[in-house]
Amino acid sequence: MRPKSGGSYLGVYLAAAVILAALVHFVVVLAAPLVASDDAFQRLAALGDVNATVLLPRADPSQEAFPYGDPAVAMSFCRYDLASGPIRVAAPAGRSFASISFHARRGLVFYSLTDKAAAHGVIDAVIGTPEQVQALAANDNEEDPSRDLRVAAPAPQGYVLMRAFSESPSLYPQAEAEAKRLACRPEPMPK
Amino acid sequence: MIAFLKILLTMAAGLGLGLFITAYALSGTSPFDSARVGPWIVSAHAGSMEADPYTRAIIERSGQIPLANGEGIQMIAWTDDAGRMLNSRCVYSVGPRVPAAHYWTLSLIDRRGFPVGNLAARYGFRSSEILRSGGGDFVITVAAEVQPGNWLPIGAAGRFGLALRLYDSPLGATAGEIDRSAAPRIVRTACE
Repeated sequence: MRPKSGGSYLGVYLAAAVILAALVHFVVVLAAPLVASDDAFQRLAALGDVNATVLLPRADPSQEAFPYGDPAVAMSFCRYDLASGPIRVAAPAGRSFASISFHARRGLVFYSLTDKAAAHGVIDAVIGTPEQVQALAANDNEEDPSRDLRVAAPAPQGYVLMRAFSESPSLYPQAEAEAKRLACRPEPMPK
Repeated sequence: MIAFLKILLTMAAGLGLGLFITAYALSGTSPFDSARVGPWIVSAHAGSMEADPYTRAIIERSGQIPLANGEGIQMIAWTDDAGRMLNSRCVYSVGPRVPAAHYWTLSLIDRRGFPVGNLAARYGFRSSEILRSGGGDFVITVAAEVQPGNWLPIGAAGRFGLALRLYDSPLGATAGEIDRSAAPRIVRTACE
């Protein structure tokens, strides 16, 4: 059937444009985490080496790197790369609220611990790939199994973030000092 | 030739529309993951493995470090209780209670989520430093001009947001768990 005028095809072109728009939209949304070149992981990577603890600048108007930061909370981080083995993370449980969270590279938080989970004043955990966690568990002494908290990471790269709450502005430097004591060290694999 | 131009135009329109919609969708909170408690918006799964693609794209694009669900809950408000956009020319009183949490903070943020500079260098209040009435209730006055009591200054003209963060809270961030009456009210008391 031949349309009477060119205008009759308008609907077809509009529909095609809308379908294309929808496709573009979904592709961009799904691909964003995979191609984001300026996400938190990239911004953190520019600040410190793997396993190095770096204190983040306070959330105030002079810094524009990490939005939605809390000016009352001191933050530090260390990046990890499990390709060379599991990592033991230790953070001091301060006088106020403190927590550590484990972030995979593409913007997913996969675990967190607060000072409530601390033993002897230290929040402590071992992160590894699922295979590394399995290998560590397989090597446990059956009589006296390790009390380590082992967390399997969904991706080999990511970062550990520590938050230390300051109860007043004058205590902020103390919270920063606590955040600086976050430690990420390679954990030996069983032979 | 004309048909070719039409197809080209259609593709350009589709591409442009798609990018525009995407930019808009990723500028706020995820449409699939925002529980509302009065004026407060809670992105329930931003800090978990269950984050939906929109939430993840928003997080990745902005560079923010999400608060893990086990650490606390972040609630953001861009409007007052009546649904009007927060505006620097008005005075707001926020209170009198917050949902259960070991500590909480209330901070003022710009549209991108950063603190706003002000002469008092006051960017937020902590639960541990706030002035309270005898019953434990509090009022934080959000205003550009100096106010008695807990004054949270609005440092710049235009729109702004309020960020309430609950640390070590027994509540889950899932919708419905936070009671409307437990969330602080944002009441506009005056406007220039």
